[in-house]
Amino acid sequence: MGILRSKFFISVALFAAVSSLLAMTKLGNIAPTDYPIKTWTGWAVDEFLSDKQGRPQFVFMGSSLMLVPVAGVDADYLNRPIDGSRHHNSQYFEDQFQQKTGQKVKTFNFGLPGEMPSDAFLITKFLLKGEKRPDVIVYGVGPRDFMDSLLPSPAATDPYQCLSRFGDVTSHRHLIAPEWDQRLNFELAQLVYPYGHKLDMSVSAERAVTAAINELLPKPQTNKPFTISDRRRLFPSYKQTEIAANEAFFRPTTPETRTFDNANLKEYKKRYAHLNWRTYCHQMKFLADLMNTARERGTQVILISMPITDINRDLLEKGTWDSYKKCLKVLAQSKDATFIDLGDSKQFALNDFMDTVHLHSGGGMKLLDIIAERAATDRRVLSALDPTNSHIAGLKGGQL
Amino acid sequence: MLFNSLQYLVFLPTVFLLFWLTPHRFRVPLLLVASYVFYMSWRPIYGLLIFGLTLANFLIVPFIEKATEQKRKKVILGFTVALNLIVLAIFKYAYFTMDAVKATLGVVGVDWKEPHLHIILPLGISFFVFEFIHYAIEVYRGKPVVKNFLDFALFPSFFPTQIAGPIKRYQDFVPQLHIPVKFKWEYVDEGMQLILMGLAKKVLIADNLALVVQAGFAHPEQFSSLDMWLITYAFAFQIFFDFAGYTDIARGSSLLFGYKVPINFNLPYIASNVSDFWRRWHISLSTWLRDYLFIPLGGSRGSKWLTNRNLFITMALGGLWHGAAFHYLAWGAYQGIVLILHREYEAVMQKIGIHEKLLKSKVYHWASVVFTFHVVCIGWVFFRADDMKICGAVLSKLFEAPTALLNFSASQLAILQIRDPIIFPALVLILPVLMVSTFVINWLNDKKFYQSPPWAVQVTVMVALMCLLTIFTPDSSPRFIYFQF
Repeated sequence: MGILRSKFFISVALFAAVSSLLAMTKLGNIAPTDYPIKTWTGWAVDEFLSDKQGRPQFVFMGSSLMLVPVAGVDADYLNRPIDGSRHHNSQYFEDQFQQKTGQKVKTFNFGLPGEMPSDAFLITKFLLKGEKRPDVIVYGVGPRDFMDSLLPSPAATDPYQCLSRFGDVTSHRHLIAPEWDQRLNFELAQLVYPYGHKLDMSVSAERAVTAAINELLPKPQTNKPFTISDRRRLFPSYKQTEIAANEAFFRPTTPETRTFDNANLKEYKKRYAHLNWRTYCHQMKFLADLMNTARERGTQVILISMPITDINRDLLEKGTWDSYKKCLKVLAQSKDATFIDLGDSKQFALNDFMDTVHLHSGGGMKLLDIIAERAATDRRVLSALDPTNSHIAGLKGGQL
Repeated sequence: MLFNSLQYLVFLPTVFLLFWLTPHRFRVPLLLVASYVFYMSWRPIYGLLIFGLTLANFLIVPFIEKATEQKRKKVILGFTVALNLIVLAIFKYAYFTMDAVKATLGVVGVDWKEPHLHIILPLGISFFVFEFIHYAIEVYRGKPVVKNFLDFALFPSFFPTQIAGPIKRYQDFVPQLHIPVKFKWEYVDEGMQLILMGLAKKVLIADNLALVVQAGFAHPEQFSSLDMWLITYAFAFQIFFDFAGYTDIARGSSLLFGYKVPINFNLPYIASNVSDFWRRWHISLSTWLRDYLFIPLGGSRGSKWLTNRNLFITMALGGLWHGAAFHYLAWGAYQGIVLILHREYEAVMQKIGIHEKLLKSKVYHWASVVFTFHVVCIGWVFFRADDMKICGAVLSKLFEAPTALLNFSASQLAILQIRDPIIFPALVLILPVLMVSTFVINWLNDKKFYQSPPWAVQVTVMVALMCLLTIFTPDSSPRFIYFQF
């Protein structure tokens, strides 16, 4: 029997034909915003793209190093619990900046747990453009963002899963999928339509099945409905990254209630162990590309080397801290970004932190004061914010 | 390397191409290298373990053949079996034994601080150790030894069956290595059909049912009695499709090289009694237990009491083979007890003289199938529960069923309240479909149409499976259940 009579190879050929047909009809496709799991990223993206949001002048980006203090400060400042899923501006910063310059600005906090420079790049490339192009990006980075040995690839983060749906990432395939199996997976997803769109198609199918089952087997009425917290208790591994509204709060604190806990030291030991220079270089490349993209669009970048404690810094392999600092400085200079180096700044003491890397709201307030002060006096930032600036003004209104 | 991983998607076709491009005399070395690459991709150091055991068995077992005195043969066999079992015991039962010793000492007031051994269970050890023991016993019984080391080394390490069987017989496997088979497209067609079917069983059915089972057995207190029955049925199908899926992939992968390995399942849930169930479930293990444990213990040659004792010991040890935990031992003991009860029941029926009549009755047959399925399901509770406490909680829920049925209302079913994931309410529809499909397949089994379906049907099924697997295979699928044994 020749290959042409092999049932398996005929099946493969027919499968290829079916895949092409699916690609042409785009059967089962869902909108990029229709991500089935509402994560920190999903909430932030939804709010950023909503009409009521408008165009922010300042966008904050970074991992929890940025998210936690910025949201925490507002909880203290507004003296009310802040729902992390729905509060995405920094009221404190807006007011501070207005006090210093008289200029009213809008902010948007795109700080996301675990956000890497690769994720920040995708936010910049796919979302911070056109009508939503900010004047200034405030990007706070820490060594973990470049040296996390627990991260198998940039594609492994929750922000990547959500954000990569908003555009074409193939130009960065060598950075996104550096290992051979990751690369094979990436290329298969490009080549085989149902494989590349399996999330869309499986979600569409699941929704159809859910509708049919809801019709066939309606939910019986009980006085104890099944809640999301019941679900988390029963099967904790299902939709682990999901965040529900009114579930993750930043609560007001006072100097008396703020405590320090170094419990995350063990985790950071693992993250910093066996530094992978390839990951480091790739994430630096993403940072450089983020800055290039922002500059092309007339957005000024304020790059902040975020403060971390000596305890955490001492976990780093010898020489990596200096290399990291030097890279950030050179990168900021070469891309004409405003650089605020707080990495080992004496402005922050141990009692400004809630753990070995995260500032608490008190430390966060200090951080926002420093950023507001610098932004209010930096010529490039003020120029970017100036609506009469002809170069930038020309770019506004969706040209990029 | 998992069968449902991207690595295997590259590994299998690579070995397949190299195999058929290689002259026959180099194929065994090639498969041996591939099998060690496959095994060592997880923990390279454990390659030494399988190699060491292979070498030891290869060198020692011929002395059984050479020994002229029966007593000497027995001593060497005992040594060989003990060596294999000691290795298995060290890696698999060290913690279990220490826990048992600690608990026992605790009873008499001694607080023993057990050492921490850092032992990680090598994949597939239970399977290849059983293959070595089978080999030694068969040689003791007069079968010839394998003279070629490479042939012998490939027998336990052959990658399609290395991790979770089927447990092969060397007299069936090794001779196949010597046949200079020529490539046939039938190997690809049949092999790939089996692989696709196996993946579908695992990914589309077992992994989805796993979500429900996981929740039910972690928190039985959250579910009603009727829920727990449905969840137990779900586990019955989960473990069947998981293990049968694995076996299909193993058989399909072997077939790509022109080799046949034994089947493991024959529609176990249509068994009309527990003895029949064990002829249909994990056949390669049940026949191994019969040949190398039950029969050497005396089988059914002795008195009724001795036969029942042998049955009980065989099944209890078979349970313990699955895992070093009391709930596996309890599962095995339960199987032993129900097999003994079945034997006694049959004896009584035969004595009364209605056994033959009953067997001819269709109503009796179907009632027996339903009854056997439920007996097996109760056994699965011991198997699936993480410990005896959970096991007790689930069983007590199950036994509340009569009361629950008397006051039945849909609102009793917690699974109908859960809409995300949708598999929970869908269970009410899926389980009957799975059960009925078993009977349909049984009915189709002797139909020519099913044995050799038309070309177009085979191609359509394969294309459909390719599409479904491409879309619904998650990025990380749970490991096969039997990988842990």
